[in-house]
Amino acid sequence: MSWLGQAAGAAGRGAVRVVPAARRDWAEAVWAEAHEVPPGWRRLAWRAGGLGLMAEEGQMARTIGIWLLFAVAAGAAAWGAWPGSPVSHGAAVQGGIIMTLALLVGLPLLTRWVLGPPGNRAARLLRRGFYAAFLAVMPARAAIGMFLGAVPRSGINRHVYDVSQGPGVPGSSSGGTDWGGEIAVLVFTACFLAVILALTARRTPVAPATLAIGVGAGLVLGAVVYAMAPLGLNPKFPNRPWLHGSAAETVGVLAWILVFGAPLVAGAIAGRRCHVPDDPAAATVAHAWQGFAGGLVSGGVGAMFLTVLGDGTTALMVRSAWVRDVVYHGQHVTASAVYGRELYASQNVSGYYLLLIGFPIIGLLMGLLGTGIANPAPRLPEGGGPNGPGGPPGPGGPEPMPDPPDGGRDIDAEELTILVGGPDAELAAPTPELAHC
Amino acid sequence: MTSRREFSPQTLSVLAALCAEPSQWHHGYALATQTGLKSGTLYPILIRLSDRGLLEACWQDEPLPGRPRRHLYRLTADGLASARAALAEAAPAEAEPARAKARPGVSPRRGRGVAAPSVP
Repeated sequence: MSWLGQAAGAAGRGAVRVVPAARRDWAEAVWAEAHEVPPGWRRLAWRAGGLGLMAEEGQMARTIGIWLLFAVAAGAAAWGAWPGSPVSHGAAVQGGIIMTLALLVGLPLLTRWVLGPPGNRAARLLRRGFYAAFLAVMPARAAIGMFLGAVPRSGINRHVYDVSQGPGVPGSSSGGTDWGGEIAVLVFTACFLAVILALTARRTPVAPATLAIGVGAGLVLGAVVYAMAPLGLNPKFPNRPWLHGSAAETVGVLAWILVFGAPLVAGAIAGRRCHVPDDPAAATVAHAWQGFAGGLVSGGVGAMFLTVLGDGTTALMVRSAWVRDVVYHGQHVTASAVYGRELYASQNVSGYYLLLIGFPIIGLLMGLLGTGIANPAPRLPEGGGPNGPGGPPGPGGPEPMPDPPDGGRDIDAEELTILVGGPDAELAAPTPELAHC
Repeated sequence: MTSRREFSPQTLSVLAALCAEPSQWHHGYALATQTGLKSGTLYPILIRLSDRGLLEACWQDEPLPGRPRRHLYRLTADGLASARAALAEAAPAEAEPARAKARPGVSPRRGRGVAAPSVP
């Protein structure tokens, strides 16, 4: 019985940590009170009730459900992406899948420790959307990689392949293990995911409305660019099976406008929504932060949406005849031409990686510009007076602050802990910028 | 004014235990003993009462040596008023099934009884 009681005690002390901060006192109270209960089954029953309370208050059922859903989706994605036949770069692909899943599991835990859990529903939804996107891209990329690696044995397809990629071993995959490429993709995935997790963490003052605006602008951006480049990115020889002539030109112009305009507008609206009365300096920082985040989210969502759609279309095209019929509907294309286009698309999808880097960078810059245009910084009058440069001189600025009595110590350790997001920072009041956004 | 329908029989039993000595601080285990409720039932009730501002809670100042600090509970002024009203309403409702049981042809209402003490 004693070991059972000790195990229950240890489980309870650990479980207290999963209960939200506002309810932690109650969980600790049940555990403390267990010392008053006679030892034996009665104390064990008391602690079991306490664990039930923690499960209920900590919303464990919901958490477990989400983790189970993630496990099923991740398992399905890994199963779809896992190399089915022995290929020379199979080990790299398998390593990439395992590491990607480890990143998807580990990075949120690390972010939670440093910046806190997602701060609101919009943040949680955005995270889930990106997770779904990462898991969808994984098998699509694997299918494209397998297609690209399989060298035709002979015939016209082999000739097309040789022209596009150079000679390989017929009927097998080409080249050796591409560890460098896999590592680069993993590093990129980690950075992209870390930015998304940081933007949606509780201690990052991004308003839910900012996230929603960024997502809306990003989805429009991604959809229009996808219409322009549904089968990979190649500015020199664009592959647009659905758009021809003036329609392609119009959508192309629209896409270019949106690449810069969507984050600009998202940043402007996100900054505009943020009101910090009576403190121009804090207002400027808050506007800039919301504009930056709105633009970054719109760029990231746009690039990710485009990648999911483009990779998905290409992967389905190389695997399914009916998708090929849809893509080249009404066009009479020979088998070798179809193969050539599939090969061409499979090579060009790597161009989406450039957009996954480029769109967020453009987004954050344009978001800052947008919020700067929509919310110009208040101009302080010269000399500190209220009349400005055109009027008579004002009464002068405020007197300089006297030196603090403790020799310049402006902030104590406890305040610093809260500012940098220490253990109890979750309990601190929301930041002023966020409180009015 | 809080009506009786807002409180479950278990909550009423907790309110009754807290009302017995409204100025005193109560411990969780003592409340559980008085009401016969398990910890998994008692504490959610205390949490809801606290959320509604009917109960105040604090930690013991000086714990016994070798023991952790205990959490203490007491009804607020609003909580005391609500509890007294709810218990006063509950008393005749509990008495009614007993009377009905005594009369042939009238079936008593189903439900778990609450031993409501006399309201001070």
